[in-house]
Amino acid sequence: MSDADLDRDVRVALYRSIERRADVPRAAALAGEMGLPPEDVRASFARLGAGRVVVLASDGEILMANPYSAAPTAFPVRARGKWYFGNCVWDALGILAILASDGVVEATCGDGCGPLTLEVRGGEVRGEGVVHFAVPARDWWKDIVFT
Amino acid sequence: MLVFRSEAHIDRWSAARGLPRGGTLSLDQAWRLARAWYATKAVPEWRRPSVDEAEALFASLGIAGPFWALR
Repeated sequence: MSDADLDRDVRVALYRSIERRADVPRAAALAGEMGLPPEDVRASFARLGAGRVVVLASDGEILMANPYSAAPTAFPVRARGKWYFGNCVWDALGILAILASDGVVEATCGDGCGPLTLEVRGGEVRGEGVVHFAVPARDWWKDIVFT
Repeated sequence: MLVFRSEAHIDRWSAARGLPRGGTLSLDQAWRLARAWYATKAVPEWRRPSVDEAEALFASLGIAGPFWALR
């Protein structure tokens, strides 16, 4: 199998695993699910990180499988009876997009004034709010964690 | 990217941090962008959009201006 084919299979398995478990797997766990050697999945994670498909932590594990965050964030998403976490409000909405599911983003106003609930139902978004990007688009990947 | 209750809340947040105001999207624009960007990421045929494709997507959603330029 080529690296490209392996990376495709790892990506698909990764996202299906997150969807099912509402948690971002470590390389060894995903390797177990896929029946692959852990080092093959770690190498694939590294390539997917280099290709900006995912964002890696310093230990080579996944920090962000965009739109999903591996750690709890201020953008929890409730869908299909589970809680997922987005990296930002775009990603939180992206979780409902990738799941093709109705659901709710339990966000908080960026200035800390209180909760802001966004609901997606029937393919439409409802709620109040304005989405703000502090970093110009061409610089998003210079510091994706801040962005 | 954060969500704010209104434009006034963005102004307050930016001023408190001494940051210039960035770009804003309506919820509907953000939702349509999220859907276009992520809906197919879990399918085998997905590939990362090119810069040309991303620019075309932004334009189709009315996301325009220097702040949104990708190069």
